[in-house]
Amino acid sequence: MVQQQTPPTGQRDLDGNPVPDAPDLSWMDKTLGWGIKARVEPFGGGMTIDALNVGVYAEVPDHIPFRNRLPRGAYPAPGAGSIGGYYLQDKHEQWAECAGRLYEEGISRRWSTATDVPWDTAYDLPGDVELAICQVATELSQHASVETEVVSGWLQNLSPGYHEVKLYLSTATYDAARMFEGYRKRAMLNGGGMMLESPGGMNRTIMETYAGWSQTVLGMWFVRNALDTTILRYLAVHGPSEADRVLAARLIPDRMRMAAYAVDHIRFAISKKPELVIGFQVWLGGVEFAQARDLRDPVLTEALAIIFGGSVAGMDEGMKVVRRMLQDFVKMYLSRCKQANLDRSKSLSGAFQGMLSGMAPPPRPQA
Amino acid sequence: MATEAKSEKYITTFQQLMEEGRKNGYRLDWLLPRETFGAQINSNAEAGGLLLQDIDRGPFAQIPDWSDNMTGRPRGATTRPNAARIGNYSIRTKADIWLKNASQLYEEAVQRQWSSAVDVPWETMEELPDDIERAECQLATFLTEVEFVAGDVPGKWISETTPDYYEPRMFLISQIMDEARHMDVFRKRAFANGGGLMSQTTNVALSGGAIDSARDFTEMSARLHISGEGLVLSIFRMGERMSYNDAEKAIYRLAASDESRHVAFGVMHLQYLAQTDPQRKEEIHSYLDEIELGLVAGTGGQNPAQRGTPSNAALAILLGGGSDAASIEEGGQIALAVRQRQVKEYVQRIKVAGLGDRFENGRANATLAAYVSA
Ligand SMILES: [Fe+2]
Ligand SMILES: [Fe+2]
Repeated sequence: MVQQQTPPTGQRDLDGNPVPDAPDLSWMDKTLGWGIKARVEPFGGGMTIDALNVGVYAEVPDHIPFRNRLPRGAYPAPGAGSIGGYYLQDKHEQWAECAGRLYEEGISRRWSTATDVPWDTAYDLPGDVELAICQVATELSQHASVETEVVSGWLQNLSPGYHEVKLYLSTATYDAARMFEGYRKRAMLNGGGMMLESPGGMNRTIMETYAGWSQTVLGMWFVRNALDTTILRYLAVHGPSEADRVLAARLIPDRMRMAAYAVDHIRFAISKKPELVIGFQVWLGGVEFAQARDLRDPVLTEALAIIFGGSVAGMDEGMKVVRRMLQDFVKMYLSRCKQANLDRSKSLSGAFQGMLSGMAPPPRPQA
Repeated sequence: MATEAKSEKYITTFQQLMEEGRKNGYRLDWLLPRETFGAQINSNAEAGGLLLQDIDRGPFAQIPDWSDNMTGRPRGATTRPNAARIGNYSIRTKADIWLKNASQLYEEAVQRQWSSAVDVPWETMEELPDDIERAECQLATFLTEVEFVAGDVPGKWISETTPDYYEPRMFLISQIMDEARHMDVFRKRAFANGGGLMSQTTNVALSGGAIDSARDFTEMSARLHISGEGLVLSIFRMGERMSYNDAEKAIYRLAASDESRHVAFGVMHLQYLAQTDPQRKEEIHSYLDEIELGLVAGTGGQNPAQRGTPSNAALAILLGGGSDAASIEEGGQIALAVRQRQVKEYVQRIKVAGLGDRFENGRANATLAAYVSA
């Protein structure tokens, strides 16, 4: 430590340690770029994180050669070691150009499930519709819970050198937490509570991808997120109460930011390493399989059919809406793949093709 | 009870509905009301809306002392026998992470979110003397480096904790959000006024790892929430004295309000553990021994007021108003007062946590007493 290099003068502090003559001020010249003045955004956006990327600080390197918390552009301290973690040191493993903007947008569009949903409009719905909402709420809440575990668990692996990504993923975790508690609140509002847990195949697929953040992004935010966002879009229109419609509608922009990061990141990764496409394609085949298997379990689609059809008696009509919804889900997923230069249209799994054609889930045999 | 009677009536209704649906080829075996069905919750728009702490009841409010939830299901949900055991959670004992009022702390965090882009009056900043600007930027570099320890590390523990204890998880997620903003706001400060980033602090990288590498949540929480963030909170609370404009004052005030929640989490968790699992008290005391050593000898790496570091010299310059010997001397005296305040606040927190006996029985580090009485 600096203090030990300075000869003591005989004066001692309260700890009994020698007090140096004068503090070491050699740090005052240790900067890689001085005289920077970042500009406040002219149209009310304030001081944004991207506005700091000026001069020598504008460069975002392809590789971060440190495994500690060195802020990008700070003067590296000699002898600063590795503190473990942070093994994703390459830009292509995490970067998305839009991360800083998504971070600021997440903060400026913050909202609260406690006060921004007109909960008192969701009392006294018909019993079957209420239970169906509780079942959907249970699954959406669980999806979001898994998402908080996964994204927060990855933070320790992503290099602080790409702080925009870490910042955005912090808001993404927080947004996912809001979906978790928003749907728990909805389920508890009339005492229906948490019903049957989610089938779990997709949860497993998302969690068992600790080998690669990009693969996690594909499973969680290309596929699962497209399903959840589509469900939310349909609930924003067909929700049985104002509260149900508002809750779903408010969650959609949160979901869309995740999708924007995901598409931007995968496109960037492929642009840097085109060979990644092969592995991504194989991986997505597996993810589609897991998602299709979960959807073959009828619980979620039956619950949605009750909501869209207005009752158990209206389920046949409701199921037609579910089929359109699943069709929209696959379209949304394919569009994300295409935007990321990862074309799935020729290798789409049979089950996804079925949904895309509006045939899944298959019509029930009449008794 | 009214709820039960209601529920029986519902079950009959739902059995009829299920039969009706089955005739049409649907399965509907999930369409069964739980025992709380029909018990409405007042969404209480006047009293802060529908809050997390008010919603759970019946089986959903039962927090198990030991969690067997390996599938990641939401607490109270009905289980599926075929669900994969994906959880692999290492935190499945309530006392290991629990505290009273975590939901309240989460909802408070939600209400008090702020934006470093627009809630800091950046336009009020005017050019500062070069040595002051360099000291500001050094301190900002230090803070932007250390702030996200408190995001990355809780992140790891969230993924290790069963969702049966979702309340502390939710609080820790709000903390990640807060720390992102702290990492961001201090980076913004470094670039806002004609400066730039300065030097990384060697021992932050080295001993910052003590928080990262803790193998037990309470050990980590004591190091992070009580020690690291407690020290930083004491400094933020002195923000008025080291600010040279309204922007800096706003940064310290807003960050302090977040940090006080993070410290409160640590204190309340320690308090819960000390009350419910007293046989762990000795072990916790031994973590506190290490923490106190860090407090007095400055081995923690998390303390900007730690002697011999660039951030300590920067603090002295900011508090004394210049980099000449007399100003630094004066600033150093004020910095000493900051360290006294840090120690006093630490002692108070440990007492509130129910571990204050160490200050009576001679176990606490003797140098602490010198700080408190100085
Ligand atoms: Fe912080
Ligand atoms: Fe904090």
